[in-house]
Amino acid sequence: MTKVVIVDGGGSVVFKVVGPTGAEHRRLANRVMEETLNGAGLAFDQITYLIATGYGRINVPFADTQVTELSCHAKGVVSLFPGVKTAIDIGGQDAKGLKIRKGRLVDFVMNDKCAAGTGRFLEVVADVLGLKMEALGDISLEATKKITISSVCTIFAQQEVITHLSDGVPLPDIVAGLHYAIANRTARMVRRLRIEPDVVFTGGVAKNVGVVNALRDSIGLNILVPQEPLFTGALGAALLGKERAMKAIVSGERLDIKERKLEEATFFE
Amino acid sequence: MSSSLMAMAWFLGVDIGSGSSKGVLILNTEPQAYHWIPSGFNYREAAQQLRELLLAKVGISSEEVTNTVATGYGAASASYSDLNVADIRCCARGINYLFPLVRTVIDVQGMSTQVIRVNGEGRVINFAVSERCAAGSGRFLNIMANVLRIDLNDVGLLSLKSRNPVNFTTGCAVFGESEAISRVSEGASKEDILAGVHKALADKISGLVSRVKLVMECAISGGGGLNVGLVKSLEEKLQIELQVPPEPQFVNALGAAVIASTTTPISEVNYRFKPMDEDAWP
Repeated sequence: MTKVVIVDGGGSVVFKVVGPTGAEHRRLANRVMEETLNGAGLAFDQITYLIATGYGRINVPFADTQVTELSCHAKGVVSLFPGVKTAIDIGGQDAKGLKIRKGRLVDFVMNDKCAAGTGRFLEVVADVLGLKMEALGDISLEATKKITISSVCTIFAQQEVITHLSDGVPLPDIVAGLHYAIANRTARMVRRLRIEPDVVFTGGVAKNVGVVNALRDSIGLNILVPQEPLFTGALGAALLGKERAMKAIVSGERLDIKERKLEEATFFE
Repeated sequence: MSSSLMAMAWFLGVDIGSGSSKGVLILNTEPQAYHWIPSGFNYREAAQQLRELLLAKVGISSEEVTNTVATGYGAASASYSDLNVADIRCCARGINYLFPLVRTVIDVQGMSTQVIRVNGEGRVINFAVSERCAAGSGRFLNIMANVLRIDLNDVGLLSLKSRNPVNFTTGCAVFGESEAISRVSEGASKEDILAGVHKALADKISGLVSRVKLVMECAISGGGGLNVGLVKSLEEKLQIELQVPPEPQFVNALGAAVIASTTTPISEVNYRFKPMDEDAWP
């Protein structure tokens, strides 16, 4: 997904939009940007500074600069929860843990090599169960007992789910088991950072109440979730952009910005 | 000694795999019949059916089988077996029966890959397992064959026609599937994608090989051994020549039958167990 956040000079969110990145070539950033500008009632040249982040950040030709998702996430999380020491982010294709000390990112762990433990895991199994990914959280709350998913690999977990279904295991129990599988895997990875409260959980998967509960059980600490966990990285990028622009204005330096023209990414061989 | 003076004893080895069930019947020490069927969703039924078909092939009844050994993912479903033996031990015995000089076997199965170091008696010295990661097993090829709508039996040959193999950036079957789809939409040929898939699989397997230390000669077994593309990619990656059995997918079932024909299979447990760090794979 592509998320766009616009903040004003005071750091308050003016408008935000989430839209598809597009399976093919990730060329849709310009459309989400356009939608956000329209929603905010702003012309593109009213944007002082624009930072792109995330996996597809190089595919945003109209961004003034790119910043890694780790820095942006840290910035976004700290702005929402100043007391954060451990941030966990599970997105569609990766999972990461951030160690934050006095508002600064000091260490991180990351899995972007294996679909297990990422949102993709839930997407694939939701498909097998014939459920929408958004529905998984509520369904899992009806579980009477959770089953154990022994496969780490997403592909084999899919097979395991089919076996459980044919054995007549109730759907909520299976879904709860899947939530614990992803939570345990994430907790095991993040534990390498020595988890300290406050623990904040962000990313699309943090919208799933079942995973939030499972992660709380796995880690044994209370978990804070922002109202809109999907936007943390984009919010951080916007705030970093605001800081850079303010700094330039105060010091009288020239801001290096691109021509304000919305265009889609093109690819050169 | 003439065979008429020897007792006639039948031994059965069955390998109930995640994808297919294989069985070998041996008479004294000579294999007499091979058979395989898809495992389907009911391993118990598959195991039963496999035995019936094998017995019918040589015209004997189940009472005439002296000893039966079962192995594979669904071994527990072969309720008629006298003993269940880990696939690693069966593979070692099977390959030793076929190639006595082999000291390293790469067993590429539907759900995992194992690299096994074998001694001259067919005992396991050391091994490394891929811990059921689809990208490190034959399952990866299955998934890609589905994506590209190609018969699994053709993926190896097709990959050999590649001129410009696609470089996969991921070692995960799920992410690899998406990557293959975007490469197709960018115009990459099926041959080039398949060559890239074989290369990615060979890279993963070579990581396992280096963990047990390769000793020649080296053989490949399991369904992966049927794939000429994988054999070639592995040979290139490891810079060696692989021994390929004529029916590589039957090696474990053969090994099970050989173990069934030995009287004290329990004495074979004296190999070093080397547990693997789960985080190291992938």
